[in-house]
Amino acid sequence: MSLLSVRSVAKRFGGLKAVDAVSFELEPGELVGLIGPNGSGKTTLLNILSGHLDPDAGEILLDGAPCHGLKPEALAKRGVMRMFQLTRLFRRMNVVDNLLVAGRALGLDAAAAAERALALIEELRLTAVQRLDAGQLSGGQQKLLEFGACFMVPPRIALLDEPFAAVHPTMKEIMSQFIRARHATGQSFLLVSHDMPVVVELCPRTVCMNAGQVIADADTRTVLTTPQVIEAYLGGEAA
Amino acid sequence: MGGDRRTALEFRAALVALAIAALVPAFVENAYWLGVLVVSMYFAILAGAWNLLAGYTGQFSLAPAAFAMMGAYATGLLGNNTGLPPLVTIPFAILATGAIGLALGRVVLRLSGPYLALTTLSFAEIMRLVASNSINVTRGDLGLPVTGLFQNRIGWYYLFLGTLALLLVLLYFLLRSRAGLFLQAIRDDEVAAARSGVDVVFWKTVAFALSSAACGLSGALYAHFAELVTPDLGTVGQTGLVVSMTVIGGMGTLVGPVVGAFLVYLVSEWLRDVGGYQLIVFSLLVIAFARFFRSGLWGIVTGLRRQPA
Repeated sequence: MSLLSVRSVAKRFGGLKAVDAVSFELEPGELVGLIGPNGSGKTTLLNILSGHLDPDAGEILLDGAPCHGLKPEALAKRGVMRMFQLTRLFRRMNVVDNLLVAGRALGLDAAAAAERALALIEELRLTAVQRLDAGQLSGGQQKLLEFGACFMVPPRIALLDEPFAAVHPTMKEIMSQFIRARHATGQSFLLVSHDMPVVVELCPRTVCMNAGQVIADADTRTVLTTPQVIEAYLGGEAA
Repeated sequence: MGGDRRTALEFRAALVALAIAALVPAFVENAYWLGVLVVSMYFAILAGAWNLLAGYTGQFSLAPAAFAMMGAYATGLLGNNTGLPPLVTIPFAILATGAIGLALGRVVLRLSGPYLALTTLSFAEIMRLVASNSINVTRGDLGLPVTGLFQNRIGWYYLFLGTLALLLVLLYFLLRSRAGLFLQAIRDDEVAAARSGVDVVFWKTVAFALSSAACGLSGALYAHFAELVTPDLGTVGQTGLVVSMTVIGGMGTLVGPVVGAFLVYLVSEWLRDVGGYQLIVFSLLVIAFARFFRSGLWGIVTGLRRQPA
């Protein structure tokens, strides 16, 4: 059984078909890249998958059970964790507390949550700033912190929206290493990124969207050589 | 400084201040000034309760004085109509205002910012007008006589001081608990809180209910202290005072609203001779603190720097 089944999901904003009959499956332990030009519907699709938007049509199954229409907190409790493109943190709470929120809300007791938070802080190399408020961190550190919050309790699937955008290469490498290590243990990811070298390196499989539709879904190298993808996204003319 | 350590420091400072406050009646025998201090503590409880909602949960309600008024009428009306003692009618007032706060919290769940402020302000004005116009029940602007509790003001002083201390202790433990973590997360970013698994609807409703119940308790005690309840207790001006006290003292800090309540009320007593001008002074102070010192006087004293929201 697929971990995540997206079946004919559609979303309109007025006359704009932001997501148009999108279907794909994600198997347990898969790390799938989601690429496409700006405005192609990637973030809207992630908003639907994480419960921040209701689809107009179609269905989404998590472990075979329908989950569309559930609120974000309910989906988080079922293991769907979301990282936003524009960082969303608790700016007046310190780094540790930012992580504790997810840990405590997802069922860890105080001691287990604290232990887990400190381990993540060390792994993401945020130890030096762990007592600072999130609003005092640099942009890259904030991205790392939000990234870490998604893994306070290992999710069934991590939906990562542009984790590498505007991030220093050192921090990008920390996140890449983290993703590789977790993927090796069976963690599932759907990773939205415009950073093609990272997508090629990390994601065995990639889905490409354009104008709200899936135009390619295959292993990453195949997708990147698909004429439609080259024309719509990578630039240049298809051979 | 970490949130927990900051709150723990504040709590210790509050305990010291309360211990000093417990000695005040030994030096202040004047009934008028004891009365001023009692009313300051009435406002301190309101400011602390409002701070839970606005400062720690980010829900800018403008109805704290209305809930105090409702608590005052609840204890007064129940006591007058049934003969039940304050020991029964005051807990009833707490439960009644908590239930109304819970209902209001459910109604305004999807609102934020100016829409939440305007809706709660409208609710507060409707409640005040209902109290003012239900002459057969409340005696309207003539006021509802309520039985007293103590013969002298020292009893009142310690009752209000004990209630304020209890509120601060409960707030402290609430803030250090899982619930406090969730409330502050909701204040900073509701979307991120929901993404983290926090049940935003539930916790916002809890904050509304707890804050309203504490306002109701303060109003109920005040009713027995003043031995009279009028709709004036729930005016927008009274809510403005509570907001001023919290902003000037330090919103989102444990001790700030209490410091602000004492300062603003005591200064307003000293400025009583200049009449309406005192409101201009407080309004200017609120603007200055909101613009330049967002963590309030308490923040200045403790060196707390507040990041822009």
